[in-house]
Amino acid sequence: MKKKFIALIAVLSIFPALFSCNLGKEKIYKDSKIAMDTIVTINIVSNSKKNARLAASKAFGEIERLSSLINFYSDGSELSKINRNAGKKPVHVSPETMDLIKDSIVVAKKSGGAFDPTIGAISVLWDFQKKLIPGKRDISKRLKLVSYKNIIINEKKQTVYLRKKGMMIDLGGIAKGYAADRAIDILSSSGIKAAMVSVAGDIRAYGLKPDGKPWMVGIRDPRPVSATENILAALPLKNMAISTSGDYQRFFIKDGVRYHHLLIPWTGMPAGGCQSVSVIADKAVITDSFATAVFILGPEKGMRLLEKMGYGGVIVDYYGRVHITEGIKDKIEIKRPERKNHSG
Amino acid sequence: MRLRDLKGKITPADVILLFLLLAISISGLIFIDNVMPQGTEVIIDVNGKQVYMLPLNTDKSVKVKGPLGDTLVEIRDGKVRITESPCPNKICIKQGWIKRGAIVCLPNRIVVRVNSTKDGNRKVDAITG
Repeated sequence: MKKKFIALIAVLSIFPALFSCNLGKEKIYKDSKIAMDTIVTINIVSNSKKNARLAASKAFGEIERLSSLINFYSDGSELSKINRNAGKKPVHVSPETMDLIKDSIVVAKKSGGAFDPTIGAISVLWDFQKKLIPGKRDISKRLKLVSYKNIIINEKKQTVYLRKKGMMIDLGGIAKGYAADRAIDILSSSGIKAAMVSVAGDIRAYGLKPDGKPWMVGIRDPRPVSATENILAALPLKNMAISTSGDYQRFFIKDGVRYHHLLIPWTGMPAGGCQSVSVIADKAVITDSFATAVFILGPEKGMRLLEKMGYGGVIVDYYGRVHITEGIKDKIEIKRPERKNHSG
Repeated sequence: MRLRDLKGKITPADVILLFLLLAISISGLIFIDNVMPQGTEVIIDVNGKQVYMLPLNTDKSVKVKGPLGDTLVEIRDGKVRITESPCPNKICIKQGWIKRGAIVCLPNRIVVRVNSTKDGNRKVDAITG
């Protein structure tokens, strides 16, 4: 009897011990907020909820601060000030705005102008909610306002000047990636050892998950078979970033034609060669802008640019065929079988 | 030792011990279930601030006040959707029912997300596109 009682006590004592070793164990803390006119999600690996929350709020704060500097649609942003003063005078800007505009010019050069931050003069003509197609004359009049070569940077004076009146810089194709990078910088300097930040579809992964595995990212299927089976492929990311540009993100269909927000800088019309382009590189500022550039260039030229730059990429072309760069072929897991003639 | 031999030797203490052990293992299961909820919460944020945390398995409709007005969120049969919204484009309503992921209404600053620890998180940690 006594022995059994002791055995019982022994068994009972195991239970709290089992749970107590969970205390202080690393967990993923997830938080989402609306910022930069989209949804921002931050995943933080930490053994303290308090630390994770604190670091996340700093990162969200940084994204909101960046957004206030570079928002194309807000009159109070530095970017709007640059655009308002196009053809008039140089505008003094913060180091972040300067950084981002310089980055966008580098990508414009490397992509042969397929990515052009001065697309703003054309993008304002399109309204994807009201389903408005701008007139050909309006577009052709403004095409001469699109060229990154007319952005004049003065590093000494920290100013940006647009040479022609009516020119507009729109950083919509690069700013979210930049924000994801900045958020990761803030988290790592706050002592966080692993995290993942998604600013809409621009994702930067840092460190490993508590189980020692890399973050897994799914690529959305541009033409999903159903709402639940909407992932085209999945791949692990370790200290890398991924972004996707798709013709399904902002679009409307009129008379059977799909009009979307990825505009060709030299025609002002939506690019037709791809359904979606995902780019994998070490920084989200690169993946965000190159996803746009590759989409504009189309599958063949786009693939060549990716291979030349040494970036990973997944291109779903107009016909729904999937093209993958050599470097990531063995890492990526295709979740849906290849389909043919699934365009539109 | 055969079962018949054992019969006479079982004391009331054995029976108590058996039941106690059973009770402990069952309560353990319940405990684990409570500690690790399985994809059951619907979290509603307005302007980045959490206003609701509701179980996905309990049918309920709630009115959420955003800057533009009231958005109606309905939970039914383990799914959630937005049924009414003051936003201009109604993209949130068109999204229909979701079991995982999120519905975002940018104009009314509302995010309805299903905190899924069960499936979504285990397959992929995020989706690009």
